[in-house]
Amino acid sequence: MASTTSSQPQQINVADLDLQQLSDVRRQLEEELNHLTNSFAQLKQAQAKFKSCIENVGEVKPQNKGTTILVPLTNSLYVPGHLSDAENVIVDVGTGYYVKKSRAQATKYYETKVEYIRTNLDTLQETIQKKQENMNYLINVMQAKLQQPQAQPSKA
Amino acid sequence: MSLEFRFQSASTEYQKIQTELASLVENRTRLDAQLSENEMVKKEFAQLTPSNAVYKLVGPVLVPQDQNEAKTNVETRLEFIKSEIKRVDAQINEGEDRSEKKKNELVKIQTKLQQAQSTPNS
Repeated sequence: MASTTSSQPQQINVADLDLQQLSDVRRQLEEELNHLTNSFAQLKQAQAKFKSCIENVGEVKPQNKGTTILVPLTNSLYVPGHLSDAENVIVDVGTGYYVKKSRAQATKYYETKVEYIRTNLDTLQETIQKKQENMNYLINVMQAKLQQPQAQPSKA
Repeated sequence: MSLEFRFQSASTEYQKIQTELASLVENRTRLDAQLSENEMVKKEFAQLTPSNAVYKLVGPVLVPQDQNEAKTNVETRLEFIKSEIKRVDAQINEGEDRSEKKKNELVKIQTKLQQAQSTPNS
């Protein structure tokens, strides 16, 4: 995600731009911020999902072997089943591949996933904050410009 | 007026290039996502033990697959995605060049139009 976001190739002082350009920049910033916060929410969701996976793996334990469970066939249709293998679970590792793992391995897998997402969330948080600061600065400049409209005749 | 007509056609062409570019960039982001997903799988496969059976999802069923086979499979997929990314990148560069040229053309026509309008003629 680092390829197409070189936002300032040449340095331009924001104070030099006129209002029209400023509002353009502002709209662009707003779009970026929106996109970033959306991604943030999505990552949060994914993290929560992995966390609940850890809990679920915790329920697959030898004490629960042979107990009756209800297996969902659809959202509203369940059939009774028995937990026959309390040692292994099958984990979706992405791109259509599934790996049979022991409970400990699975827990570890999900924990690294959660951790990985956390680092992503942290960097994302930082970028969002920076964008927010840019935004605030931009709005300040815009307001300053609005308050002294055409104080000096427009320079070429 | 022929100048206005030229401006019209140039600007529609410019817009067309822009939409093309947008779809290319979208393509590129999708490829990036696929690349990182496959890389994750590769990393995961790298630390498998012989007891970890690998299954592949084929339609609604899981089919057991040989670990090595799965590994080479992911490897070739990575190669493919990387070459696709290169191809799309080249297309994007070319599209950006074209869009830049069109933009210059547009600006030229526009200045001409403005000149024509500012000089009073019947």
